[in-house]
Amino acid sequence: MLSKSAARTFFLVGTAACGLAFVLLTLDTFRQIPGQTREENLTEAAIRGKHLFDQSNCMGCHTILGEGAYYAPELTRVYERRGPEFIAAMLRDPEAMYPGQRRMQQYDFTEEEIADLVAFLEWVNGMDLNGFPPAPPLAAAAGTTAQATVADGRPAVFNQMCVACHAVGGRGGAVGPALDGIATRFDRDYFTRWLADPAAIRPGTTMPKLPLSDQHIAELSDYLASLEN
Amino acid sequence: MKYESQRIAYWFFATCMLLFSLQIVYGFIMGFAHAGMDGLHDFIPFHTARATHTNLLVMWNLAGFMGAAYYIIPEECEREIYWPTLAKIQLGALVIVGVTAIVGFHVGWFEGRKFLEIPRPLDFLVVIDVLLFIANIAMTIWKGKRITTTSSVLFFGLLMAALLYLPGMIPTDNQTEDSYWRWWVVHLWVEGVWELIMGGILAFLLIKLTGIDREIIEKWLYIIVGLTFLSGILGTGHHYYYIGTPKYWLWIGGLFSALEPLAFLGMAIYGITMAKRGGRKHPNRTALAWTVGTCVMSFVGAGFLGFAHTLPQVNMYTHGTLVTAMHGHMAFWGAYAMLVLAIITYAMPLLTGRKLYDTPSATFAFWTSNIGMIAMTLAFAVAGVTQVVLERRMGMEFLAVQTEIEVHFWGLILAASLFTLGVIAFIYNFVRHGLPKGEIERSSATEEKEPDESPALEAAPGAAE
Repeated sequence: MLSKSAARTFFLVGTAACGLAFVLLTLDTFRQIPGQTREENLTEAAIRGKHLFDQSNCMGCHTILGEGAYYAPELTRVYERRGPEFIAAMLRDPEAMYPGQRRMQQYDFTEEEIADLVAFLEWVNGMDLNGFPPAPPLAAAAGTTAQATVADGRPAVFNQMCVACHAVGGRGGAVGPALDGIATRFDRDYFTRWLADPAAIRPGTTMPKLPLSDQHIAELSDYLASLEN
Repeated sequence: MKYESQRIAYWFFATCMLLFSLQIVYGFIMGFAHAGMDGLHDFIPFHTARATHTNLLVMWNLAGFMGAAYYIIPEECEREIYWPTLAKIQLGALVIVGVTAIVGFHVGWFEGRKFLEIPRPLDFLVVIDVLLFIANIAMTIWKGKRITTTSSVLFFGLLMAALLYLPGMIPTDNQTEDSYWRWWVVHLWVEGVWELIMGGILAFLLIKLTGIDREIIEKWLYIIVGLTFLSGILGTGHHYYYIGTPKYWLWIGGLFSALEPLAFLGMAIYGITMAKRGGRKHPNRTALAWTVGTCVMSFVGAGFLGFAHTLPQVNMYTHGTLVTAMHGHMAFWGAYAMLVLAIITYAMPLLTGRKLYDTPSATFAFWTSNIGMIAMTLAFAVAGVTQVVLERRMGMEFLAVQTEIEVHFWGLILAASLFTLGVIAFIYNFVRHGLPKGEIERSSATEEKEPDESPALEAAPGAAE
């Protein structure tokens, strides 16, 4: 049977070999990281945003690159998923964006800090992550994905912002009411006024005033007016 | 207890009990928040509770390892701790840094990197503190009468744990590099050098509790820590699948982390075999239960449940979900929390001179906390798998999924209540033992002989080979 000194040799040689391999792989990885993470796009603002992200302990609730806590959404592709305007609005006043839902801390960021955080998330969004996060493979079968195809006629801004709370055809969030058949209750002009300032039409509504351009509002009004059933 | 300075261990263990209790409180805050009751949000937001919960865990485990070292090293080296006063100062400093960090979390002072949330200035203090501790242990071993494998493995583990804290302090602006170094600390700790510490403490406990020949126990100790490093070092790659690092980590990480359960399986077989074949009937059966328990539960939690989501094809969907929390809870409990509780259970009667071995409350503590933790793991598993299916596989909105799985957090809270009952019983036992006023008992007979062991029943060397 194996002797103690043979066991010691196994331990020492195995550890040394694996340790050496790990150090060499680390050297190569650091050679490749700048390319794979598009470090050329890492702006001063994004760097400030990264450190603000750390100091605010965002990873204490969210995951980024799939790392962090599981209390709040994954942020790796949030720039693409929600767009910069939505993220900025969320950072200005989190509870207004998801009324009555799980709460995020109000950090009272300045506009410059918000721009830095958005820049950071934009940079992360551009990384090559070996296929993470994956597209949901069962989405078509389940009919649940919020991100519809172009053929559905949804404006891009609808797929970024509105689906965070509202569903159409069973796809989208459940924070606000589903919007199927909404055109049978309101007309296009109402949608335009409503989106410009919800509280002006119905004081006390939980729907936030979203950072929408006039063109966005026009596109959304057209789309909502088409939802007849 | 054979040496005066071993008493210091008591104060480290008492610190463990205190921090552990607090850790559980913060766990409940998060459990309730997940279940939809975030009434404390304005005072202790989730991210504060989270940082506090995990950092308390790291802190009390480290305090436990230090206490274990201060207990074990004098017996292994057959001399007093070299600087006993320094040990007390060093504990005080650790507590002060810890309290500062925890208070800091409540007023928004963070470094905000998962598990390494302690702000940079405090990092330096931690390193200094741990280096003082290492120096103290090193001097004790150096000046000791003998150098055993057990004490060398324990020392090497503690030293490497201190050194591996440093990569986490390398400054970088790139999120990927940041994450890369963070895992050098976290992974190489828990799936690397902490297992050396675990191996060292386990070997000591098994030698004392089973009476099996030291040569045999230490030989297998080498095999197990060898397996640990063979799989664990390159197994770090399972953290490098999807964070912006090269693709070769997918197969390197996958291959080596698939081997990681082997080390834990080895540990489990080792613990069980030694306990079964041991000729000695040590009266402290509860300590043996915790010792064998930690071998088994670390295999289930760290080995088996880790393997469950370590392959890249699986991890693609489970990465960043509650499945990680499922694995994390039982892994830390099995491998490190139970280990510290094992050495505490073994050492307390000797430190205090009150031989409260197999009291009903001690047995209750063991079973209730373990059953509670298994139930907690199941609750996390159901919540995690549901999250993976609904969010990652079907593409439902995050918040809608969270509402769907709220009910499992009520299950978690129930399970955690059971777990807490067990821990309360453990702490009750700890307090009941009283202060470390046990007598120094010098036995001139065989070095492994316990003053309180039942007579005869020496194991024949080679019995377990």
